[in-house]
Amino acid sequence: MLRNLSFSRQILPVAAVIGLLFAVYMIAIGLPDRSLAEPAEQPPKAVGALANAPRVAGAGVVEPASEVIDIGSALSGLVTEVRVRPGDKVAAGEVLFTVDARAARASLRQAEAAIGEARAAIAEASAAQATARQQLALYRSLADPAAVSRAEVIRAEGEEAAATSRLGLARARLAAAEAAAAAARTEIERLTVRAPIAGEILAVNIRPGEFVATQGGGNSQPFIQMGQTTPLHVRVDIDENEIARVALGQPAVVSPRGAAELHVSARFVRAEPQVVPKRSLTNSAAERVDVRVLQLIYELPPSDAFRVGQQIDAFIPARGKPKDAPRAQQGA
Amino acid sequence: MLWIAIRMLTGDAQKFYGLLFGIGFSTLLITQQMTIFINLIERGASGVFNAPEAQVWVMDPVSRTTDVSFPMPATALDKVRSVEGVEWAVPHLRAAANVRTKEGDLEGVAVIGVDDATLIGLPKRMVAGDKTVLFAPDSVVIDDVGTTRLFSDGGQALGERLELNDQRAVIRGIADAIPSFTSQVVLYTRYSNALNYVPGTRNRMTFVLAGVREGESPQAVAARIEKETGLKAQTHDEFARAGINFIIENTGIPTNFGITVFLGFVVGVAIVGLTFSLFLRDNIKQFGALKAIGVTNGKIVQMVAVQAGLVGLIGYALGVVGTVLFLKAFGGNPFFKGFYIPWQIPLISLAAVVVILAITGFIAIRSVLKTEPAAVFR
Repeated sequence: MLRNLSFSRQILPVAAVIGLLFAVYMIAIGLPDRSLAEPAEQPPKAVGALANAPRVAGAGVVEPASEVIDIGSALSGLVTEVRVRPGDKVAAGEVLFTVDARAARASLRQAEAAIGEARAAIAEASAAQATARQQLALYRSLADPAAVSRAEVIRAEGEEAAATSRLGLARARLAAAEAAAAAARTEIERLTVRAPIAGEILAVNIRPGEFVATQGGGNSQPFIQMGQTTPLHVRVDIDENEIARVALGQPAVVSPRGAAELHVSARFVRAEPQVVPKRSLTNSAAERVDVRVLQLIYELPPSDAFRVGQQIDAFIPARGKPKDAPRAQQGA
Repeated sequence: MLWIAIRMLTGDAQKFYGLLFGIGFSTLLITQQMTIFINLIERGASGVFNAPEAQVWVMDPVSRTTDVSFPMPATALDKVRSVEGVEWAVPHLRAAANVRTKEGDLEGVAVIGVDDATLIGLPKRMVAGDKTVLFAPDSVVIDDVGTTRLFSDGGQALGERLELNDQRAVIRGIADAIPSFTSQVVLYTRYSNALNYVPGTRNRMTFVLAGVREGESPQAVAARIEKETGLKAQTHDEFARAGINFIIENTGIPTNFGITVFLGFVVGVAIVGLTFSLFLRDNIKQFGALKAIGVTNGKIVQMVAVQAGLVGLIGYALGVVGTVLFLKAFGGNPFFKGFYIPWQIPLISLAAVVVILAITGFIAIRSVLKTEPAAVFR
């Protein structure tokens, strides 16, 4: 049998079949994996009732209910003390930072000295006035006109008038000094910057020893940023083409960037009256826009997931088609 | 009787191997050229295949392929998200940039910005590093073929610093991607980084990638997106097809490969036809003898068919195995990266082999069938 084995008649066909099977196997395992994959991480999506209902999507930023307040300083000067740290909760009127008040204090002391001086002058003038009056009264009480010369009487009268006017001058000087002291006190008060509302300190960009200028603005950083952070609001940008579709007043589904599995229902607060150019969040200074957006404000429920300035994705119910139920509810 | 046919065939070794060579060669030519052709034009869709999560691609109405595209305003993303049936939608940026390498050379690269939070738009697998390296600042992921282009001296790509639009970019991973048609270096980075890496025009977002809610078909959702947003939406398959069509329409590749495949077919017909005819003519006496002992024409057709079948089987196997080994041998070459043999191609070449054998067998057998038993005496 083995002797009869023929290369071309037996080995070759068997080898061909084996080769074909090998080729089929290689082709089968070589086929590329072109299947679609599920996203590894959860992208933002509409959930709940919104998932299958008409909706409008928008991107937005978390902000305090009061919006961010950039605290300014009424007077310029060196910062002597910063009383708050980021994250502190402050009451309305609480001191945030103080600006160097030495000059104001000095003028207060100067004014106080002037008050003392004016008081002394008042005392001196009223003493002189009293003496002059006594003397004049003495001269007038004399029955005999020849007892004192007419010139003496005129002198006494003049002394009395001079003392009276000196007293008036001293009183006026006291009032002026008191006003100066009050002005110095106001100045000192103005050098102490206080919280305008109760809220949370969001950022502190000054340190003792730094100079705060009243001519801020431009690109300068605000000295302190604060805001009412309970509750937080979100400002959602809606493309101008979608404005007509938004069902105003309905709650929105909001999820933070990068944690799309977390979503909360946010209560409608208001829509900004003005449609504004979209503020791009790409941080590129050269950014130009041709898209305008309507800004809607929603109130977030208490949650640790959101921070001021964070970007969010929002889904808002849309007005349904005329026959749809949601529209009817809205009309009612 | 059929065994006699096979002995008859293999008895003449020269012609037998000639036939095998003819069939084997044309199978190899057809299979291998069609494989390269298909793989080459599929490179036009590599951008689509490299973003496996996207079920629907949304783009400006004038965009044609992943590389021929026009950017949209940023709010297009929200418009797409507002469409019913869209499960999710993320931004996707594709742009060209120039990179300065360490040697000081200039290299054109494609910068692909994938969604910041979910990294949707990255290829499925990584060669080195993890997808999450993109969360590090200034990091990019390079594609594996690009590594060989950018670091031709065999340098280590990981940790290398590149300069893109005056910004620092550090290579922190290598993706297992299908190279593009031009084998351009591809740098994947997060969308926000990509905005900095690519010199700015007003609109930057080139695509929105969308997923489809369960129970909806991508076609229906794509149609709805087109209707409601005025943008162009294509499903994964449609957009891959668009990329392939773009290559077919704009290059001479189909013609070139078509000619080669046709030549393979012609060579097969010529070699096999000539050899088979000669072989049958040489054996005309034997057929005459068979006829003389009463073998019918039907039986003779069967015998020739068996001979053709054996030649076809072995020759075809040689050709297909040759193609497989060819791809296996050159698999390491970046040009052949990701090449595969679509299962339809061996079937097409099998059909071609059958056609070749049928044509040549039919031509050759006519003289045999007309043979008189007396031929044995001539």
